Amino acid sequence: MELMGQQSKLLLQRIWSFGCSLKLAIALASAATILIMGGSLVMHFNPAIFAGMEQEIMSKWLPRAWSQTPRLVFWVPLSGLLVLLFGINTLCCLIDWLFKIKTRWRKTGEYLIHTGFILLVIAYLWGNISGFRSGPHRIFPGDRIAIPKMPGYALQLDEFTPRLEPSGRPLDMINRVSLWKNEEPVAKALVRINHPLIFDGLVILPASFGQELQGFRFHMPDRGFVDLSPGSRLSISPDTTLEVRKLLPDARQNSQGRVMQTGNLLNNPAMQLSLSGSGGQLWQGWYFLHNPLPGALREAGVFLRPVGPINKTFSLLTINRDPGDKLALTGSLCISIGVIFAFFSFYRKRVQGDRPEV
Amino acid sequence: MSKTLLYVLFTIYATATVGYMVHLIWRRPILPKASLILITAGVLLQTWLLGHRWWMAGYLPVTNLFATLFFFSWALALIYLYFELRYRIRATGLFVMLLNLVLLGGALPRNTSVSALIPALDTPLFSLHIIFSFIGYAFFAMAFSIGALYLCQSRLNSELLPDLPTLRRINEEAIFLGFGLFTLCMIAGSIWAHIAWGHWFSWNIKSVWSVLVWMFYAGMCHAKFVRRWQGGVYAWLSIAGFGVVLFTYLGIGLLLESNHPLE
Repeated sequence: MELMGQQSKLLLQRIWSFGCSLKLAIALASAATILIMGGSLVMHFNPAIFAGMEQEIMSKWLPRAWSQTPRLVFWVPLSGLLVLLFGINTLCCLIDWLFKIKTRWRKTGEYLIHTGFILLVIAYLWGNISGFRSGPHRIFPGDRIAIPKMPGYALQLDEFTPRLEPSGRPLDMINRVSLWKNEEPVAKALVRINHPLIFDGLVILPASFGQELQGFRFHMPDRGFVDLSPGSRLSISPDTTLEVRKLLPDARQNSQGRVMQTGNLLNNPAMQLSLSGSGGQLWQGWYFLHNPLPGALREAGVFLRPVGPINKTFSLLTINRDPGDKLALTGSLCISIGVIFAFFSFYRKRVQGDRPEV
Repeated sequence: MSKTLLYVLFTIYATATVGYMVHLIWRRPILPKASLILITAGVLLQTWLLGHRWWMAGYLPVTNLFATLFFFSWALALIYLYFELRYRIRATGLFVMLLNLVLLGGALPRNTSVSALIPALDTPLFSLHIIFSFIGYAFFAMAFSIGALYLCQSRLNSELLPDLPTLRRINEEAIFLGFGLFTLCMIAGSIWAHIAWGHWFSWNIKSVWSVLVWMFYAGMCHAKFVRRWQGGVYAWLSIAGFGVVLFTYLGIGLLLESNHPLE
């Protein structure tokens, strides 16, 4: 019985020594390095499959990519496993060192780096299992959108100002945003490039911006400039009204006379107009702004000359959540302090003649 | 930046390198001393040129191939100077300065103008990321040179070169310091990525290879404890490691598309 106990203890000691083994660390790190080297080239030459890695967290991207092409993505979980085992090996080394800290305290710097690395591996796993990446979300100033996968949370864009160079090159995107939780504002920030709103693992940052056609400015000989957008009504005479029904930035008419949208860029804008009098609708039709005004409108005394588009600027915001970000930051701090400690202890050990003769 | 001053700098380093070469044949003690003086002058001139560009641009101008090669060359010369003054490695300078001439020579024909900084790079984290990265690379380049020299010395046993234990010691020191600084570069880069793109690790090829560089040198920091690998194997690993660094720095930027383009 006692012999069996001793054998078990010996076996456990051997397993522990193997777990802490330096050679195991080198083998795992080398295997992961070689595998990721090859995998990174596969990744680079297959952007259709791997582009989604940036837009999604690993736990969402990997199952889908695996179901499509397991042959090309097998290296991702395999290298993840090797890094995880390397992390476990690092943890064993750290625990082993903690038991011997009285005699090996000079290695504090090195083991702070180990601690940081373990925290980073855990933070990456945590963030890529329970976080999310979403967007870019198109938001107009004043709009509020629900934050995906976080019930009760909403993001409101209070104000948006793009900063441009005289050449038109974007310099910055200044978003005044507020974060709401259960109809109560919980955070407000000025979000711009390199200045995100970070709150409870959420990271809200600007991705881009754009403009959407809202209406058109016209010139009328008797009234001057008139702005028209969908829903606008214009009184032509005491009993005749012109109403704008729809506005398409890029439209075409097919052989059956049906008008359809062909794009979102301002190329061939068209307005659906309706002319009504006291007895009901007099005319309804499409006015392609590059063409002359429809005859029915001219006959009714409507004289419109398009001057230019009226655009509304929107912001594109990315909303990510990484619940492991604080842990990752803690890990980074541990590593940074560890590096500084290790530099000092390296030279101290050199001065004392302490050589790595293991 | 004046091209003339760049050519003056190149000439200074080239003359210092020739000094080391001639010393190999004639063995005059004055030659390595003169080379060291020239390298010191070169480092001072290069520091001034770099500082001037930084002052004029209003940000650390390391955003294109010319600027990165110039910064890398400066960091390598500075680190050589550190090791030379600390260990008096003399003829070792030939190897390091040849590598430095390749870097500076690669920068000479390129456009020296400073382009406008793109908004995402306008953060101190970018400057820290770049500084730690290239000083780390320079230490790895130093380790590569020392590793190659270790292999030469183990065959030649020349009096002109430092003895094997000294070369091993310098190699380990270069790897350790390079790894530490490259680690800080990775941390600055990760924090910057988190605030700029919302995730601290990106699966683009440059970031992946940066992690590979880090893992490789982390492995080397451990490999020095394996008795059989001390010396020769470690020297070979230093050479292989620099291959990984070169691919990460130049190979990806020039041959492949990445979010760290080199123009």
